[in-house]
Amino acid sequence: MQAISDERLIGSDHLLELSNVQKHFGPLHVLKDINLTVDRGEVVVVIGPSGSGKSTLCRAINRLEPIDSGTVKVDGEPLPAEGKALARLRSDVGMVFQSFNLFSHKTALENVTLGPVKVRGLRKAEADERARELLDRVGLAEKADAMPAQLSGGQQQRVAIARALAMEPKLLLFDEPTSALDPEMISEVLDVMVELAGSGMTMIVVSHEMGFARKAAHRVVFMDEGEIVETATPADFFDNPTSRRAKSFLSKILSH
Amino acid sequence: MDFVIEQRTVILEGFWMTVRLTVLSGVLSLLFGTVLAVMRVCPIPPLRWAGAFYVTVVRNTPLTLVFVFSTFGLPRLEIRFSFVTFAIIALTVYTSSFVCEVVRSGINSVAAGEIEAARAIGLPFGQTLGQVVLPQAFRAVIPPLTSVFIALTKNTSIAVAFSVAEATSILRRLQNQDASATFPLLLTTAAGYIVLTLFLSFSFSRLERRVAVAR
Amino acid sequence: MKHHLRLVAVLCAALAMIVTGCGDEEESGGPDVEVEEDPEFASGSVMAELAEAGTIRIGTKYDQPGLGNINLETDEPEGFDVEIGKIVAGELGIEPDQIEWVETVSANRESFIANDRVDIVIATYTINDERKEQVDFAGPYYVAGQDLLVAEDDESINGPDDLAGKRVCAASGSTPIENIRENYPEAEPVEFDTYTECVDQLEAGQIDAVSTDDIILAGYAADPKYEGKFRVVGETFSEEPYGIGLEKGQDDFRDFLNDTLEEAFEDGSWEEAFEATLGASGVEAPEPPELDRY
Repeated sequence: MQAISDERLIGSDHLLELSNVQKHFGPLHVLKDINLTVDRGEVVVVIGPSGSGKSTLCRAINRLEPIDSGTVKVDGEPLPAEGKALARLRSDVGMVFQSFNLFSHKTALENVTLGPVKVRGLRKAEADERARELLDRVGLAEKADAMPAQLSGGQQQRVAIARALAMEPKLLLFDEPTSALDPEMISEVLDVMVELAGSGMTMIVVSHEMGFARKAAHRVVFMDEGEIVETATPADFFDNPTSRRAKSFLSKILSH
Repeated sequence: MDFVIEQRTVILEGFWMTVRLTVLSGVLSLLFGTVLAVMRVCPIPPLRWAGAFYVTVVRNTPLTLVFVFSTFGLPRLEIRFSFVTFAIIALTVYTSSFVCEVVRSGINSVAAGEIEAARAIGLPFGQTLGQVVLPQAFRAVIPPLTSVFIALTKNTSIAVAFSVAEATSILRRLQNQDASATFPLLLTTAAGYIVLTLFLSFSFSRLERRVAVAR
Repeated sequence: MKHHLRLVAVLCAALAMIVTGCGDEEESGGPDVEVEEDPEFASGSVMAELAEAGTIRIGTKYDQPGLGNINLETDEPEGFDVEIGKIVAGELGIEPDQIEWVETVSANRESFIANDRVDIVIATYTINDERKEQVDFAGPYYVAGQDLLVAEDDESINGPDDLAGKRVCAASGSTPIENIRENYPEAEPVEFDTYTECVDQLEAGQIDAVSTDDIILAGYAADPKYEGKFRVVGETFSEEPYGIGLEKGQDDFRDFLNDTLEEAFEDGSWEEAFEATLGASGVEAPEPPELDRY
């Protein structure tokens, strides 16, 4: 099936452009000719069954997964190969992981300041001050000196968001940010994400949280078997999916 | 026992040499072994192969042979140092291969997700290693490193056969002077090694407690 | 007819060689040794025990050309010390091939005797008072002197007084290393288990001199392997009377060993042994030394 191009939906201010991206894991074709463009300030939710390639897509954007062919452009610049240039470009693309991945030997504050100090070359005092502001913004001002192991999952994920924000990224990637959380902690993380979306941050969110998608997303991208099957506004997608595969998927997650 | 007391300065000098051999080759092995471990996990294949080759060859070579290579082989290549230096070279070359494997296992014990997170905030390979991987790896490997350094302490005694006046060499010299003092000399020397290795274990377990992280 | 007589003479000589085993002489590297038949010893004596057992364990060096050196082809040691051992064994009625040779190095000779790993030690073993506290000595059967072996082109060392700041190698636990350490403290002592290792280091240029008994050094200097590489300085600075080491307190055995040596001095077998071994490197047999029956 031909991937649906979303060219017609967008204006001119492209922050992210994926064209003809291909990726295999051995015999498995996990990304099939992906074309996707995201505008500055846009919030895109990527949804799809497990194994549909949505996480891989997310990781391909900052090249944590190398791709076989095609191009990824961030702010007009093609993603360089491994090395210093790639590291610099990555610092402009924040990422929040499913399993938080805080540096377990560093305090919450140190987790947030590491990037600004080591990558951006900020003085420590300045980085500390900004980090405290960010921790305050995610509601964890008083946890600055806590070690990751002393924090709940929801708190760890909020520190991870603060860590990503500290780099002042142009784009934030969320790879199933709430999937590893206990149900009672999901909303504290989603609240932070909604607030971020409202502030104009460009975000790509791999998530099944329909509430978040309806509330904050401009667009929903539905993936299945390595392809982008359908792209629509949240309301259209959830209420009137056009493809058979999207209908089938939605019926499965809604029946629970 | 009188003979032992009479010869205490010589015996202490022997142990001082043992301590110097242990500390110098210990520090050098830690540095070189870590470099090897980093080579073995780095993204450049030829470095990985070189690291693996080194460990496979050196770790499976008897230490005495390594000593023969340094003490008898290097002079043949016009490389001349003191015999103590040759001993330190041999001990370092040998111990590094063990340090490498211990540190590498420590590196592998660091959560892959944290390494990805470090890369994602733009840390290059070197800083990812220095800021995130190695600090955590070293905490994890303090107990196995202790064993490596205890082995090193005892391995310094191989230098007895390579013209280094360390504790075991002094033992043999004194034993030769007075065979009737063999047992007191043996016990004293054994006790000396035990004191050194106990001190080592004690220091490392204190270090371990100090750097322990709440997990 | 004359022709025939000559042929017979040659045949007889050849036969004699086969019967007496003269043909083997070159291989074993030593002269024939007289073996007593059923010698009588006082019952309970060490000699009686050894004669009864028909074997004796002799410690010797395996790396001293001319004295005690392993022959890699026959896997048997050969040299002057080895010949002395055969003379002693023969006096006990033990055939040379019944001797159990044990390699001893300088540092383990006392403990091998004390721990009954050997019956006697004949291994360039210098008699001194310190050692007499731990073992007994018969002999001496030879008196050597400590000397220096240096590189052929090394003009800087012409005697023990030139050793300041020089690396001087001798075997661990040997008399020479102690002598250097005590009397020439400006020299840097280097010790290995064997003189072979010392000579190896000298050849590699890592050390300046090897020091031990002149006769041992002469063996190395004459070794075709090292031809033209070393010279013996020729200034001896000690007296090293070589004795046969045995367990302390075996006085009857010590007397027997001394008697045996004395006999060998007198009947020429000592000189024969010397010429077949050390003499081969061009050293003339000296007068036998005075025994020290302490």
